[in-house]
Amino acid sequence: MLSTLELSPQTLDAEAPVRIAVKNLDFYYGEHKALKNINLDFRDRHVTALIGPSGCGKSTLLRIFNRIYSLYPEQRAEGQILLDGRNVISNDVDVNELRSRVGMVFQKPTPFPMSIYDNVAFGIRLYEKPPKSELDDRVEGALRRSALWDEVKDKLKSSGMGLSGGQQQRLCIARTIAQKPEVILFDEPTSALDPISTGKIEDLLEQLKTDFTIVIVTHNMQQAARISQYTAFMYLGEVIEFAPTNTIFMNPGKKQTQDYVTGRFG
Amino acid sequence: MTDHIVRSYDTDLEGLRRSLAEMGGMAERMLADSTVALVRRDTSLAQKIISADQRLDNLQRDVEERAVLTIARRQPLAQDLRELISAIRIAADVERVGDLAKNIAKRAVAISGQFQPPHRAVVGLEHISRLVQAQLKDVLDAYAAGNEQKALEVWGRDDEIDALYTSLFRELLTYMMEDPRNITFCTHLLFCAKNIERIGDHTTNIAETIHYLITGDSLDVNRPKLDTTNIEVDAVTGS
Repeated sequence: MLSTLELSPQTLDAEAPVRIAVKNLDFYYGEHKALKNINLDFRDRHVTALIGPSGCGKSTLLRIFNRIYSLYPEQRAEGQILLDGRNVISNDVDVNELRSRVGMVFQKPTPFPMSIYDNVAFGIRLYEKPPKSELDDRVEGALRRSALWDEVKDKLKSSGMGLSGGQQQRLCIARTIAQKPEVILFDEPTSALDPISTGKIEDLLEQLKTDFTIVIVTHNMQQAARISQYTAFMYLGEVIEFAPTNTIFMNPGKKQTQDYVTGRFG
Repeated sequence: MTDHIVRSYDTDLEGLRRSLAEMGGMAERMLADSTVALVRRDTSLAQKIISADQRLDNLQRDVEERAVLTIARRQPLAQDLRELISAIRIAADVERVGDLAKNIAKRAVAISGQFQPPHRAVVGLEHISRLVQAQLKDVLDAYAAGNEQKALEVWGRDDEIDALYTSLFRELLTYMMEDPRNITFCTHLLFCAKNIERIGDHTTNIAETIHYLITGDSLDVNRPKLDTTNIEVDAVTGS
């Protein structure tokens, strides 16, 4: 008999090493405790989806991975997020270096008001000064990886702001992967896009997971079911259930998960 | 289970359950009536069963269409998805039960003018039919009540029916050897017995679907087989 996992186009490898290990993580917005004792393992070169109703803490968790919260003095995290064994929330971590290793793509496309070429080159130039020819190659490579090259190769000098929403989002992905990160965080990357652009991004995510560890927050349950190998269901700042995606969407262990994925609360 | 946020979703699922309940009731009645028609050689009852089957076929198509539409419209997951898949499977099994009962009814018509064998020839058939009717009723009740235990009991009891079918097979062969004039009648009875045994198999299919619906797992252990009229064939390997 075929197991459900063998039928899935995105087979998961239970032996894959853990790229990010979250241990006993608490997070506070001032006095408010937004995340309570989170423990999760994110496997290398897998897509892990975070799902849950608004306010459950999934975006908050995502924002801790690359320390975006450090910009706000009243926000603090306690516990451990181990990226290759190093705790990213400890004070001695170089945040800029961390962010070059952990890229992020947001809900709304955030191209910079500069040319398409410069948008992609921007991230590279932050950390390296490669010669022009190498820079050209890396920009082209990143645009190809993000399935945008054919659409923009004749107008690399025109503004990134002139692209369509879906193209802008892929431009942001190109900018992120040009830095050669290890982990890419996606915070509802397709919620502002039409179905065709969404399809292109999902297709892209499948390609990207061969090289990157991907964490995605999504409100679209079917999207999580399609593209991820692991899914964590969060509610009121806690992880209620974390399991292979097929389990979460076909036969979840907890009633709360079942109720959420079948549209009975949220 | 709690209601969906979108209430029309619950209405859709409720409608499917109602149609399946109606189909189940019809199939039970068709099996019972076809046995009566056969034993009493009641051709007008048999004709009623034959025409009732059309309604069952229509209901099955209707259940299937609505389940597919619900999948397309609501993209169900987890329990809901299993419920819709199960509805499609169970409707197909119940529809087959109707077909098999209809076939018994047709045979009841066919043998009405035939040589009369001793009455005891149909007693065994009545018996196996009663057992299968009980199985069908139990499995449909188990579905309506979401009772997995009861479904598993039905599933485990099918071997009794298989064993009974085997003994009935031998009995009918004996009648045919005793008096060749019994052959036509007994051959029809043999097919009817096989139909009833098949209906038993459909009840175990439904039991397996109920198990899947409730637990999310397939029943992949082999059911005990006591039907020795099956020809033993070695499994083809290497395919």
